[in-house]
Amino acid sequence: MKIELIIFGKIAEFINNQNIEVDGIADTDAFKQYLENQFPALKNMKYKLALNKNIIQENTEITNHATIAIMPPFSGG
Amino acid sequence: MSAERYNRQIILKGFGEEAQQQLLRAKILVIGAGGLGCPALQYLAAAGIGHIGIVDDDTISLSNLHRQILFSTADIGKLKVEIAAKRLQEMNTQIGIIRHPIRLQKNNILDILSRYDYILDGTDNFESRYLINDACALLNKPLIFAAVSGFEGQLAIFNAPDHLTPSTNYRDLFPIPPDKGEIANCAENGVLGVLPGILGTMAAAETIKLIAKIGQPLTNKILSYNLLTQEQYTIEISHGGGYTLPKTVDEFLNMDYQDTSEGPQGYKEIDASELIKLQQLESTILIDVRERHEVPILDKQIFTQVPMSEFGAFMSKEFYQKHVVLVCQHGIRSVAAAEAMQEKYGDAKKIYSLKGGIVKWRDHFLKP
Repeated sequence: MKIELIIFGKIAEFINNQNIEVDGIADTDAFKQYLENQFPALKNMKYKLALNKNIIQENTEITNHATIAIMPPFSGG
Repeated sequence: MSAERYNRQIILKGFGEEAQQQLLRAKILVIGAGGLGCPALQYLAAAGIGHIGIVDDDTISLSNLHRQILFSTADIGKLKVEIAAKRLQEMNTQIGIIRHPIRLQKNNILDILSRYDYILDGTDNFESRYLINDACALLNKPLIFAAVSGFEGQLAIFNAPDHLTPSTNYRDLFPIPPDKGEIANCAENGVLGVLPGILGTMAAAETIKLIAKIGQPLTNKILSYNLLTQEQYTIEISHGGGYTLPKTVDEFLNMDYQDTSEGPQGYKEIDASELIKLQQLESTILIDVRERHEVPILDKQIFTQVPMSEFGAFMSKEFYQKHVVLVCQHGIRSVAAAEAMQEKYGDAKKIYSLKGGIVKWRDHFLKP
């Protein structure tokens, strides 16, 4: 399955915007687990996922060619 | 009203006299007269917003000037609200500017926010942002949110329903604030002056759109802006769960925003609902400090037993968890344990004590 990753803020310091090919990941919970295994620094950060431009509030099915954005909170002003 | 002053926007197709009247009737509070607040204030005042309040307790310093464009070198050391109000009033003599040279805290924010129709958050720290979000949700005030980090910005409108979705708030995106040090602010991280300039101006545009009811404001959406690529990405926000939003003034006053009104105590006393939230974090250890013979016996999978008589020995060993929740029968020994831990770990760990203890929250502990 192909997924396009779009990364914001500090998270972009260790994950690049990229297209990835993953197998056996059916939903956003599994994807989150996969991300945190690949990038352990994420475990200690607050962030939110958006699937195809919609914020993920509960486990949601991922289909081929999905776009997933990873967004941390900003506070600067 | 001088129609000539606003002529170029009144003659604009899709804006007009009616929209201008709505701006003149509006009351807006801009919180933070900094990198975001200065440009937002300039355009809101120029556009003819009738009443503009400015909150900031800070004075102008040299390192502010590259981005806080209402201020000049001669203003260094003066109160931001005073100089900002003076400049804006000189620019537009027909509007009212109200100065609030204070820091918003739990005990004053509701009073001030209740005098305005729209709130623009241009602050620079999470404590203020959560405080403002919760106060706006409680008072039902639309909140225009702008923030920057590095070369990027975020812009959103919270707490304003559209015809499709009930209103969302900042906690629907990020239910709880990051730990201190997890996300750096501008002072630690640096910022190119033009970035908050762009975001602050965009926040003013969203405010004007919301008031004049034109276009599609970012209601229930968050826009991410990247200065280096000029790319924007807009995400739809839906209602989430798993957070506490105060529903009454009393609940609000009992929230912990870690503002300076809360004294030097390092550990925090929590209730059972906060315990449940902390319990879900991987980096939390729950410790029962009662002696081993005491009842009721708690689930040992969840609560690590460290009786007070063994507490010193426990603290001499390292443990990885960042959040430490201490419980005992009445919440008295757990406070003593919290004080001891606070002394040893300082800010390295977050220490909590269950207020009232197991007796007070019996239903929580004994439920099947």
